[in-house]
Amino acid sequence: MFWRVVFQLLRGSRARLTVAILALVSGAAVISGLLNLDFGVEYQLTQQFRTLGANVVIAPTATPSVPESTLTNSALMDENAIMPQVKQVATANVSFAPFAYVIAQVGGTQVVAVGTWLDQLHNLNPTWKMDGQWISSRAAASQCLVGRNAAKQLHLTTGDSLVLHYLARTSQCKISGIIDSGAVDDNQVFLSLDSLQALADLPGKMSVVQLSVNGTPSRIGATVDRLRSALPQLQVHPIREVTEAEGALLSRIRLLIISMVILILVLTALCVLATMAALAMERRADVGLMKALGGSIARIVTFFVAEVGLLGAVGGLVGAVLGVGLSYWMGLRVFGTAVAPQWQIFPITIILMTLVAMAGAWPLRMLGKVKPAIILRGE
Amino acid sequence: MASVVQIENLRKEFGKVRALDGVSFEIQEGEWIAIMGPSGSGKTTLINILGGLDTPTSGRALVDGVDVGRLDEDGLTRFRAEKIGFVFQQFHLVSYLTALENVMLAQYFHSTTDESEARQALDRVGLGDRIEHLPAQLSGGEQQRVAVARALINHPKLVLADEPTGNLDEANEKIVLDLLRDLHADGRTILMVTHAASIGSLADRRIDFSHGHLVPQPASLSSHSR
Repeated sequence: MFWRVVFQLLRGSRARLTVAILALVSGAAVISGLLNLDFGVEYQLTQQFRTLGANVVIAPTATPSVPESTLTNSALMDENAIMPQVKQVATANVSFAPFAYVIAQVGGTQVVAVGTWLDQLHNLNPTWKMDGQWISSRAAASQCLVGRNAAKQLHLTTGDSLVLHYLARTSQCKISGIIDSGAVDDNQVFLSLDSLQALADLPGKMSVVQLSVNGTPSRIGATVDRLRSALPQLQVHPIREVTEAEGALLSRIRLLIISMVILILVLTALCVLATMAALAMERRADVGLMKALGGSIARIVTFFVAEVGLLGAVGGLVGAVLGVGLSYWMGLRVFGTAVAPQWQIFPITIILMTLVAMAGAWPLRMLGKVKPAIILRGE
Repeated sequence: MASVVQIENLRKEFGKVRALDGVSFEIQEGEWIAIMGPSGSGKTTLINILGGLDTPTSGRALVDGVDVGRLDEDGLTRFRAEKIGFVFQQFHLVSYLTALENVMLAQYFHSTTDESEARQALDRVGLGDRIEHLPAQLSGGEQQRVAVARALINHPKLVLADEPTGNLDEANEKIVLDLLRDLHADGRTILMVTHAASIGSLADRRIDFSHGHLVPQPASLSSHSR
């Protein structure tokens, strides 16, 4: 009987309740859209920031993080001692590679030669443009890559042979591609770490290790802490410009979203409240009659609470579906990729809307004061 | 025969207005009483007190041994659900519930619902084929018959009918009065407020009110044979 009455209440007042359900669906749609975006934005921003390149550097103590000077033993790390430990700490979401640098000569012109794991160069710098082919072999001794400015200065192009001179030694490779990074990397040439170590006659030595840690600022911080514990003799530091910008942006977006959610919750509650105030007046006679028939105010009010609770839940569910679609569209517009539906949004939105509907039903409390004798007299 | 209603020196004041002023009488189980009198004489106030919708200023009103004036809000609610069946002049059905649901609502507030019993109650008042109709789809007489079925569904000790035919045409008035007559024949105790002497004459006994007082009746007028 309880649900029969509740459904008849909903049916009987459908015109007036349409306003309330529209408010609840609209509010739920925007809230769930924003919450879905909030959950998804962390992942999206993280992905966006990772395209900016390495965000953690391991270097010897008291040396610049990205030295461009000639290799000397005092400013070097031992590749075979360090890299296994880095590999142990790095999880699946971390790209990393050792780097060594010398200033070599090409046909009488000085150029910074960079030795690294060539197969990791693209993973560490996904936004770099390539004219030619990336190198898939880590230690390809016969292949190299050249920065755009260096290639222009040295009149080199893809497929040309590059001869590097350092002290009395020479290294030769074929250019697989020309790199356009938009940064200082465009002035450098990239060859395998083994080739550079042979050129510098410093086998097994490297200058720095660069890592691109995929994750939130807190996750990056945790990775840095683990590396510091594993490598106490070295400097491990995040590239703060990237991680701090990411953290600050995330905080601002989250604050904006939470403020919007609170504002919409209040506005939705006010809209429901206005509807319920009118409905409470309309239902005074019914409540007076129910009281006369022996209905306790608790049992009578339960009808109305169930009614608004049902409205809130249905409004929340429908709004959540619309909101997830909205966030999908917003994700495409803002980030260029869709924000995947976060399933926890549905219960959160339904609970929020149910609570908002209950809060909006506050005027119904006045029904508790209805005097049946007065109502039945038609006053 | 046991007393269902005992009223002793009952007073009800609304500010300076005395709606009931020292009223005393008894109603025996199975009696059909007609309360008569002009508007403002205190009839509805009496019905409201006996129905637990209002409380007396002083005096006692006992229904089935329960002193209504001593009940708190929860006690009055239970009293109305268990002891009283109301039939109002304005019918007072819940507009968005069907005839069947209106009857079942009274069951719900009393204890638990029994749809078959509610159907039987509507059958008894001649509305077996109208149970799924909303009040707006029923005539005035049909609505009042639903109200009668609702008043009886919980087997109340006292049926309070306030001008039950006041809004009905002659044909429907006869139907409703026949129903009350049947109830009386079944041994129900009925207290009916009416303005019409012809309707009042159907009752076992007539009690006249004037300005909150009982009007003494000549022996020949105070009792009618059925």
